[in-house]
Amino acid sequence: MVNIMNKDRYLAIATLVIVGILLIESGDIPGKSSWQPYGSAMYPRFLLALIALLSLVLLVRSFLTAKPATPQSTATFHSLAGWFRHYRIIIALFGLFGLYALLLPMLGYLISTTLFMVSSQGLLLGCDTRRKWLINLGITFTLVPLVYAIFQYGLNVWLP
Amino acid sequence: MADSFLQALLAVSTPGVLILIIIGVLFGIIGGSIPGFTVTMAILVVFPFTFAMDPISGVALMIGVFVGGYSGGIVSGVMLGIPGTPSSITTVYDGYPMAQNGEPGRALGIGMLASFFGTLISIAVLVFFGPLIAQMSMHFRPWEITGLIVFALTLVAGLSNGAMLKGLLAALIGLFITTVGLDRNSNLRFDFDLAFLSSGFEILPVMIGVFAFTQLMGNIEKLKEETHQDTQAPDASVNIPYRHIVRDIGQQKLNTLRSSLIGSLVGALPGTGGTVANFISYDQARKFSRHPERFGKGIPDGIVASEASNNAVVGGAFVPTLALGIPGDLPMAIMMGVLILHGIQPGPLMFEQNPILVGAIYASLLLGAVIMVIFQLLLVRWFARISQIPQQVLVPVVLMLCAVGSYALNNNLFDIWVLFGFGIIGYLLWKAGVPLTPLILGVVLGNNLESQVFRAMELDDSWLTFLTRPLSASFFILAAVSVVVALIQNRKIANKLSATENG
Repeated sequence: MVNIMNKDRYLAIATLVIVGILLIESGDIPGKSSWQPYGSAMYPRFLLALIALLSLVLLVRSFLTAKPATPQSTATFHSLAGWFRHYRIIIALFGLFGLYALLLPMLGYLISTTLFMVSSQGLLLGCDTRRKWLINLGITFTLVPLVYAIFQYGLNVWLP
Repeated sequence: MADSFLQALLAVSTPGVLILIIIGVLFGIIGGSIPGFTVTMAILVVFPFTFAMDPISGVALMIGVFVGGYSGGIVSGVMLGIPGTPSSITTVYDGYPMAQNGEPGRALGIGMLASFFGTLISIAVLVFFGPLIAQMSMHFRPWEITGLIVFALTLVAGLSNGAMLKGLLAALIGLFITTVGLDRNSNLRFDFDLAFLSSGFEILPVMIGVFAFTQLMGNIEKLKEETHQDTQAPDASVNIPYRHIVRDIGQQKLNTLRSSLIGSLVGALPGTGGTVANFISYDQARKFSRHPERFGKGIPDGIVASEASNNAVVGGAFVPTLALGIPGDLPMAIMMGVLILHGIQPGPLMFEQNPILVGAIYASLLLGAVIMVIFQLLLVRWFARISQIPQQVLVPVVLMLCAVGSYALNNNLFDIWVLFGFGIIGYLLWKAGVPLTPLILGVVLGNNLESQVFRAMELDDSWLTFLTRPLSASFFILAAVSVVVALIQNRKIANKLSATENG
């Protein structure tokens, strides 16, 4: 099966869909008052129209300048599983950060940040040797309290 | 102005502010010397620490990072052959061979002194041209400011890695992001009935999310490719031959001046920055040299041209930011964010309304340059060691600091989600080949652009006025020309590439 999608087409279609949703949402913006030359929706709608126009140009251009698919270009991410395998570390790191943001208000800065630092360093550095564990824990237990102290006591910024 | 500068110098010379400049310079050098970390990342990491500071202290710290950051790239460039920042790529061409020939101390020393003189000359350019341009732009009305912002955005979009269309798309997305939330007439826009969207997005978490996540994830991707490459540990026993490097620099007066002026000029142009300055200066130095054949083999001329120009970008980049309120590149966009956060709107009025702060910027640059050269020369062996910090450790640390910084802005957990959300959006856009600098510039300039458009329409509701006022029309014509020129250049590059592939 030939994959007809490429980066430009994904980008153009996703942008057009989002622009469509935002244009519908712009219907909720109050209309112009008697003293305004234009309403509050005019400027963002103008921007959305330009974004849609450029996305359409990108989409059309992607068909006009399309190169024939080579086995090499289609082989890398033949399936969704292949894509996930290639980007597994990136996805995992984004996931860990999302989890960190979620846990921060529940567990507080010290615990949630310690968990994030240990897990993300473990993910990137590995945890197969004693040395790696020492580096991981050393950095975590030095930096996490240090940043807390600087913000809390030096800058008077309260962390959760 | 002289009185204000004196007052500013006194304000900056207090022990507290001096310590902040020293910390900033040290952190900047460290940030610049770690390959893949970049000056921009160093600035973003330090930014949150300025929240609780007064404007002069905050700006002094940030300027320290700027000055140190642009000079830090030389360390890994000379010692490892890997430029610490993109703006020190051409430093490697001659710095690394000179180090390989047994003179790493000489290469580093020449580069550090050139960085110092480059910064000094760029400060002179800023002091001379900043107020002059601000004076001229005092006559700008909303039509002209609108035209200028549009011109700056198209120029940056056009210079974004040959992706004109995507660059413009990015700039428009950036402008649109600022329309979320309450507008100037207190009407809610795109809040989707969610209370936390009613005040829109803060600039800082958006900028950090888009830039930092993309940069860090990109570094992780690179790690995979580089796993099999051996990195050579730097020789920490490097010694600087002081007499020799002073003699070297003495023979490079014209080269230093020319490269510094090129750096200042390029820095003042939107969308260019240290990398462009680096290449132009290096090329010019080779053209003017009596020994062009020695370039790339370890000639001092190449190191001087490269390092003087990339540090001169600092002062030059401040000219449009302070005088016009238009940042030309990413680090300056963040610097403008710092000023806005502290309640200062950069622009022509800044020179009249905040002369002491403007003087403090000059003084901080000056002191930062002196501190930079002293610390670089004294602590070079330590910087060489620090430049070896692995990305596997660096990435989680920076992500953590980004989260804390975003939260500290308003003590609001929603800002961490904004950071995260825009981190994902930025990464996906980057993977789709969308340049992110125009997007960030759009976010920084978005509110001002909308405000100027509406002020213009309130004064005269005809759109044609944008094209009938000579200066405003000139900016729009320049914007159109920059788009056309970029399109032609992109077409040429594409044709060359396809000819290479076919031939």
